[in-house]
Amino acid sequence: MSDDRQCTATTRSGARCKNQAQPGSAFCYAHQTLAEPAEQNGSRTPDRVENRTPGAGDENWRQEMAAEIDNLIEELQETTPGYSPPPFSPRALVELVRQSLDNLPPGMRVDVLYRLRDALQRDDVETWRGIWYLMHYWRYYQDAFVSRLRALSLEEPLAALKRVTNLIEEGVLDMDTLKGAWFMLSYSLKYQADFVRRRFTGEYDTDPWGLDWELLEAVRPIFTFLYKVYWRVQANGLEHIPDYERALIVANHSGQLPFDGAMIAGTVMLEHPSQRLVRNLYADWFPSLPFLAPFLEKMGQSLASVENGTALLSNDELVAVYPEGYKGVGKLYKERYRLARFGRGGFVRMALNTQAPIIPTAVVGAEETYISLYKSNRLARLTGFPYFPISPTWPWLGLLGLIPLPTKWTIDFGEPIPMDGYGPDATDNLVLVSQLTDQVRNIIQEMLYERLAQRRSVFLG
Amino acid sequence: MDEQRVVLITGVSGTWGGRLAQRLLAEPGFHVIGLDAEPPEDEIEGLDFVQADVRNPLLAELLRSESVTILAHMAFLETARHSEAAFDFNVMGTMKAVGATAESGVRQVVWPSSTMVYGAHPDNSAFLKENTTLRGSRSRAANRYRLEIESFLNGFRRQAPEMALAVLRFANVVGPTASSPMNQYLRQPVAPILLGFDPMMQLIHEEDVVEALAHAVLTGADGVFNVAADPPMPLTRILALAGKLPLPVPHPLAYRTRLRRLSPFSPSYLRYRWIADVTAMREKLGFEPQYGAVEAVEAVATSQRIARYRPGSEAAAYDEERLRATIERRRKQRASQTGSNGQAAISEQAEREADHE
Repeated sequence: MSDDRQCTATTRSGARCKNQAQPGSAFCYAHQTLAEPAEQNGSRTPDRVENRTPGAGDENWRQEMAAEIDNLIEELQETTPGYSPPPFSPRALVELVRQSLDNLPPGMRVDVLYRLRDALQRDDVETWRGIWYLMHYWRYYQDAFVSRLRALSLEEPLAALKRVTNLIEEGVLDMDTLKGAWFMLSYSLKYQADFVRRRFTGEYDTDPWGLDWELLEAVRPIFTFLYKVYWRVQANGLEHIPDYERALIVANHSGQLPFDGAMIAGTVMLEHPSQRLVRNLYADWFPSLPFLAPFLEKMGQSLASVENGTALLSNDELVAVYPEGYKGVGKLYKERYRLARFGRGGFVRMALNTQAPIIPTAVVGAEETYISLYKSNRLARLTGFPYFPISPTWPWLGLLGLIPLPTKWTIDFGEPIPMDGYGPDATDNLVLVSQLTDQVRNIIQEMLYERLAQRRSVFLG
Repeated sequence: MDEQRVVLITGVSGTWGGRLAQRLLAEPGFHVIGLDAEPPEDEIEGLDFVQADVRNPLLAELLRSESVTILAHMAFLETARHSEAAFDFNVMGTMKAVGATAESGVRQVVWPSSTMVYGAHPDNSAFLKENTTLRGSRSRAANRYRLEIESFLNGFRRQAPEMALAVLRFANVVGPTASSPMNQYLRQPVAPILLGFDPMMQLIHEEDVVEALAHAVLTGADGVFNVAADPPMPLTRILALAGKLPLPVPHPLAYRTRLRRLSPFSPSYLRYRWIADVTAMREKLGFEPQYGAVEAVEAVATSQRIARYRPGSEAAAYDEERLRATIERRRKQRASQTGSNGQAAISEQAEREADHE
């Protein structure tokens, strides 16, 4: 079509441009952008194009350019040490150009190729070699930079985003689901803000014992985590726990800190169909501990006394006691699963007072959560603790030493022992009380041995 | 029992005596004799006032000649610090007044006590029954005197088994006017609590105190009864309801320093549970408080909120002045009456100095 038309511009060297003019224009691809504003003004100003060239002629300009490129190469070599480009060959150059072209928008690619061809006609091999080096270094630098970015693992959040977008594309997350999620989020936020506000204005209820259901619900996820994930509690014999009637759970005590009480309560709350609250009775050391004392009270736990146990059982509550007391919690590691003396039989009197069945319970796994090697009487006296365990981590690591080991727990609820066959004044029969105490103790000890015989691993069960 | 019943109320010029007298005068068939060293500030319509000290040895004579059948012993000074004069008035006064009833035809003695006599201990049961051993703190003088009186009345009960002896142990009294430790605590600008402790607390509205005492007189109750409104509440909830700022103090510090002066409760009472069992109040005494615990706190909070806007500071200042003069006058009177003039004066002197430090 317009193949024969030549560009009307003047080159930097002052000669007439030998390129073909672009279709529909008086200029070639190289001079079009330069000339256009001038063309719009209606007058061609070749002088302006002339002024852009260095005045000392082609050779000077070329040397200057080569020096500049050498500088750049040096700079790049510094940023990418240990890299040298492959030897120069026209084919390799064209290949590199072809690869790099992919990064440019399509309209620009042809333009660049034209310019290269134009330059090839005039510039010498050395310049080309320089450009080759430059391009190589530049690519190498870019690759290194990108791989460094990748090392920052940007991939993961991107993958997560990708998954979300996939869900949206697959229609799993349609508009209504999103709306629902939004409502749920804002509702729970509002609830939580309201919960905090009501704590400050006193608009919440506790039962006479101090149980605060709302707070219990708030801390429940922590105990659910401990129950399901950390200790992976396996519960057996849940059918022995009544749905509504009174009952007295009697369990072995262990583990330096009374987590076993929390896990027995968790078992009934999470696994039993009635989801009852277990009222644990704790030793009289705990009411004097700051933070723990009000926390236990708000969780519905009470002090271990015959009056408290009797009162709770009379209200048809599910009560749990640990007759070993301090002797059990403070057990040394080597004494694990050997039941200590069962107190003075207070738990039997509670059960006899209220004719509540006794559910013997064996907790296996809790006795290995801490490895108590030695009990220091002197430190116990000094700190006011009822016992002061020395373990490989406590007290050397401070509070970190309090983190329990993630053993696998098993809680077995045994056959209930009925108490309604005894007369009303059986409570005062000391022989009967001590007999029943020993009987329950032996049952729990047997249950422990049975479970221990089946257990293969402390951590895996 | 259809004939007119004669009630003698000691300490009738005090808050509780005066209010109980008014309450009983509203009942038909009562002749109310009021006894105090000072006449009541505001005259009580229909009250037969006798001006005498409760420790007067002629009290037995008075009881006989007036054929008094019920003694409501309301004379008690609610003091935080021990003084011989206060001990003499509270403890010896009660012993003499109650002792005078023994051979004078009195059939019932009513005396208000406090659940603070149980004491706050880590091994307290959740609900303290009336027969629990009294292990109250002796650091607050009023509580110490109550413990003395309780043990005296316990002995008296055995000596005079035919006498109906009604001891009402009230929980923390709150209300617009009462001067109880809890009321004082709720009126302070900040309420010190122990860091990491939030014991359950029981309350009773001051009007219910008067009602319960009148109920005991009317029914001729015999025995010891805890009197408190439901439900017991955590201390922080009470403070939140009253709009008070809790000031948490680490408990080792609270026990050791003078910070305890900031609170009318000794630290243990803010640390451990001391909730009294109120089953006997409902089942044996047959009394039910009109105010719930929440309403009782709100009554205090409301009266305090209004006090902020009322230009009552001048009246309050005058009232304070007048009360101080009264206390002073009564002290002097008591000192001259007991005869151990010098000793009382010395102890008074010592107490006043202690107040100034």
